[in-house]
Amino acid sequence: MFENLDIFRAAQSMAIHAGKRQSLIAQNIANADTPGYKPLDIKPFSEVLQSNPIGKNASFSTLPTAVSTLEPFTINGSESPNGNAVSVEQQMVKAIEARRQHDQALAIYKSALTIIRASLGRR
Amino acid sequence: MNDFSNALSVTASGLKAQATRLRHVSENIANADTPGYRRKSVSFQSETNADQGVSSVKTGQVSLDRSELKQIYDPSHPMADDTGHFQGSNVDLIIEIADAREAQRSYEANLKMFEQTRQMSSSLLDLLRR
Repeated sequence: MFENLDIFRAAQSMAIHAGKRQSLIAQNIANADTPGYKPLDIKPFSEVLQSNPIGKNASFSTLPTAVSTLEPFTINGSESPNGNAVSVEQQMVKAIEARRQHDQALAIYKSALTIIRASLGRR
Repeated sequence: MNDFSNALSVTASGLKAQATRLRHVSENIANADTPGYRRKSVSFQSETNADQGVSSVKTGQVSLDRSELKQIYDPSHPMADDTGHFQGSNVDLIIEIADAREAQRSYEANLKMFEQTRQMSSSLLDLLRR
């Protein structure tokens, strides 16, 4: 498992994905009152993960590139009279999701690091 | 890290734009009784930064409300005309208060995002401390 340090790669990709999403959500909220602005989002991490082969010998080698090349798409929702389609409530929920995903990724990373340290005999 | 600094700069632009909006609202409220004052309104526009690939928000040109000024009857007023009327301002306090409240809500949402992005990047930096 640790020969290729796959778990670190997966955790890293997950954290990058959360960071990207957070940046887009920040942009959407800043533009919540801009006329004609449409909110942006990227594919959820689970979908990115599913497009990669998963199995017993799963390798996440293509995951970092898959995450970093994700293209943001616009979401068309109910528009206000000035053509703006940002719902601040929806963006807030997404922001919490991104936060949780980021924390989760860092927790996985830390825990894997602790295991490696323990196997090296250091604390 | 780059994503986080982008997020922080976009959020900062949002905070600045909302603060400008609030400043114009307070100008309107302060001048609600000034004769001949026209209400100012400010529009937002997004500005795409090419090398970062994010669109921050900025305030556009200030426009004056072209609607009719209120006619106030007060023959003793120095600006009163022959019929005893003078022109007041076209500021409606209810609209201004509602606008101020909306600006405040948006400001809070931006502030919340700023705080959360900061926490996320500091927890990322905590990994280095181990």
